[in-house]
Amino acid sequence: MLNKLRESKFKIITISFGLVLAVFIMALLIGVVTHTTPQALIASLFSGEIQFAIRLSLITSVISTTLCIIVSVPAAYALARYDFRGKTLLNTILDMPLALPPLVAGVGLLILFGTTSFGKGLAEAGIQFVFTPQGIIIAQFFVNMPFMFRVLKATFQGINPRYEYVAQTLGCTDAGAFWRVTLPMSKNGLVAGSIITWCRGIGEFGAALMIAGATRMQTETLPISLYLNMSCGELPLAIASATILIVISLISLFVFEKFSGSARVF
Amino acid sequence: MIRVENISKKLGEFCLKDVSLDINDGEYLMVLGPTGAGKTILLETIAGIYPPDKGKVYLYDVDITGLPPRERNIGMVYQDYMLFPHLNVEKNIKFGLRSKKYTKIETSQKVSKLADLLGVSHLLNRYPGTLSGGEQQRIAIARALIMEPEVLLLDEPLSALDSETRTKLREELRRIHSLTRTTMIHVTHSFDEAFLLGNQMAIMNHGEIVQVGEPSEVFRKPNCKFAAEFLGVSNVFRGESIVENDIAYINMNGLRFASATAREGVVYASIRPEDILVSVKPVESSARNSFRGKIQGISNTGIVVRITIDVGIPLIVAITRRSFMDMSLIKGMEVFVTFKAMDVHVF
Repeated sequence: MLNKLRESKFKIITISFGLVLAVFIMALLIGVVTHTTPQALIASLFSGEIQFAIRLSLITSVISTTLCIIVSVPAAYALARYDFRGKTLLNTILDMPLALPPLVAGVGLLILFGTTSFGKGLAEAGIQFVFTPQGIIIAQFFVNMPFMFRVLKATFQGINPRYEYVAQTLGCTDAGAFWRVTLPMSKNGLVAGSIITWCRGIGEFGAALMIAGATRMQTETLPISLYLNMSCGELPLAIASATILIVISLISLFVFEKFSGSARVF
Repeated sequence: MIRVENISKKLGEFCLKDVSLDINDGEYLMVLGPTGAGKTILLETIAGIYPPDKGKVYLYDVDITGLPPRERNIGMVYQDYMLFPHLNVEKNIKFGLRSKKYTKIETSQKVSKLADLLGVSHLLNRYPGTLSGGEQQRIAIARALIMEPEVLLLDEPLSALDSETRTKLREELRRIHSLTRTTMIHVTHSFDEAFLLGNQMAIMNHGEIVQVGEPSEVFRKPNCKFAAEFLGVSNVFRGESIVENDIAYINMNGLRFASATAREGVVYASIRPEDILVSVKPVESSARNSFRGKIQGISNTGIVVRITIDVGIPLIVAITRRSFMDMSLIKGMEVFVTFKAMDVHVF
């Protein structure tokens, strides 16, 4: 009897910790959303500046996510399937942006594209990254690529290579087996990886700030808009950006859980 | 027809060491060996999944060692089916036909022919995840056979199935083989399967092929200690052999066995339990080996009774239930054992 009592006390304490954390998080989110009146929020959402920020955020994040997919699919496949010299080192390097503070990544991007002959050459060819929306895209790509890469690598590793072997005995080349078997089987991993990459792209601030700057109505994504409006006291506009970012995060989290949970169906 | 010559391959913990095999057209070769013997790598090397470190593979005397799997026309069926989960049964079966230039009508004719052969016609619109193991394996076999392969490789195809399904599918494999005459290489660790399906048998251990031959031949005359023990030959002894007049006399523990296999030096001798005769009185016969011993143990397992008789060394003898009852044998009784020199296999 006494034992049971002690056990349940422990249970209550541990659960309370979880509840306190949840209350803290919810208080914070609800605080942001309810800070202004609903009317002011709606008016801000339809203001030209926030509309611009939404559009720019959507465009840059969709392009950077697409770039992440294009580059990560082959890279993740190589590291999941093949053995080669320097594989471990390559793997570590590809994960590095994950640990790097985004501000540092931004400084690096600014130096690479702003000061080196490589960057200057690109700029002369018309591909200008410094203080432009293209800079936002490259910043999002650099910072979020490891998420896509890691989710895809885990997905490919989870698929028995014998599916491809069988496909090869059935007339496929190795690329054909990948295209007809492994890629369709990775659908859930691809969706989950894209969602998390896209969601983080929308929220990307530090690296984008460094390379693209924070210019109103030019490189003003949602987080940049939040930052600009906070710093000059336009609270309703800042809250509007924050609210959209919260909604996007919640939806993304939900979709990600749904797909990454079933990513190991096969 | 398909010939493997001195193949060596190291892959992680598994390896093949200097493996050679020669398989004739239409043969059903069983490769038998314990887990980790390298059976799967052997099949995957023949299929062309990996290049061997050393050695060659020939198909109809053409060197195919360097060809990718898709150009070999060798089919593969794995233990866990490997059906493509995102495709329904019909699309799984016709997966390989895309590489061949068939019309839509030819394709659907082939699919229904193979689905009929394997008895899966009613499943064509289902997805693999909703099917039983036996159904999935039938589809995997149909998917491989639709390519009309020169050789079909089967990697423990029956091991993941329950015993009833296993028996059914085993008969199915036999039927398919006699119908299509496709050359088959079937890897297993089950002796029953090997004996019931194969017309050739290869025993593998530690990446090496230790013996090849007709199943009854391999079964009766294992050529090494591993083969004998693996095949369940219980009487295996080590002794020193001296040859006189083409008869080997093997000395062990003060006993002397005569064997028709003339080999000298330190050898292993094996005698199958069913080749030993038991009698209450000494028998007059041409058999060269006759000993007196005491019954040490009796294990009654149904039709066959296995008796351990101590003749200086313990001999396991298998007799029918009928003769066991007739002689009314009991533990501790003195009996005589007799066996022919021909039945003492020396290796």
